[in-house]
Amino acid sequence: MDVGQAIIEGTEEVFSTMLMVELETGKPIEGEGGEVESNLTSMLGLGKDIKGMLAVHCPASVAKDITGTFLGMEVTELDDDVKDAIGEIANMVAGSLKIFFQEHDLSIELAIPTTIVGKSFHTAGMSGATRVAVPFTMNGATFLVELKYVDAT
Amino acid sequence: MGKNVLLVDDSKTMRIIIGRSLRQAGIDFDNIFEAADGIEALEVLEKETVDIVLSDINMPNMDGISFLREKSTRDAIKDIPVLMISTETGDDIIGEAKSLGAVGAIKKPFTPDKVNEVLGPLL
Repeated sequence: MDVGQAIIEGTEEVFSTMLMVELETGKPIEGEGGEVESNLTSMLGLGKDIKGMLAVHCPASVAKDITGTFLGMEVTELDDDVKDAIGEIANMVAGSLKIFFQEHDLSIELAIPTTIVGKSFHTAGMSGATRVAVPFTMNGATFLVELKYVDAT
Repeated sequence: MGKNVLLVDDSKTMRIIIGRSLRQAGIDFDNIFEAADGIEALEVLEKETVDIVLSDINMPNMDGISFLREKSTRDAIKDIPVLMISTETGDDIIGEAKSLGAVGAIKKPFTPDKVNEVLGPLL
């Protein structure tokens, strides 16, 4: 079960379909490492057979760039539109992972995204969880899509 | 007389994107109404003339399945068609939506062409 590749395919599909943007994709990281300095993180809980959290971590510049591309307008602040847009990105990537896990006979339920904005924060998942993270670059700046999960079957 | 659509999604961004996709697909509505959850959607349907509803499934307060269930109990609005637009595309949940009256489903992410392909025949 190649979770890293599933994150890559899901994220690339969201950006190419909804934003008409081709991302530069880094190598999946399993375990610790690869953190980006995030000013905005959208998280979405997973439940049922797979328990955990999908998170999209963005520096402010990337979050505004994604939102501006999504909405077709200039975005200058990390406002509610940005939180909403990155939350929806997380939601769609999680939806693709739901299909991926279903193909491996694992059923998951998705929560509604939550977004945190700040200058210095750290998110922590369940202890003992498997972590897979993939860095993506859009217009020269990097954001991270991270999945922390345990197989609860 | 033109047609009216109701977009139901807790994400304002997604409501904007769906509205833009409708225009890009060449589907013109006289009025595009919006609601952030099933409760707001029911309120709009009771007040406005709506020809079709495009609804998300995962929403706070009242989700898309509960919205369909409640709508089916109200004679004045129960026959208005609802097309689901959601990340939720599993056979179980879409099957439940269809059993409650949904006329189809579009998976997020989507293209304007996909919207046209599914929605066009329903208008």
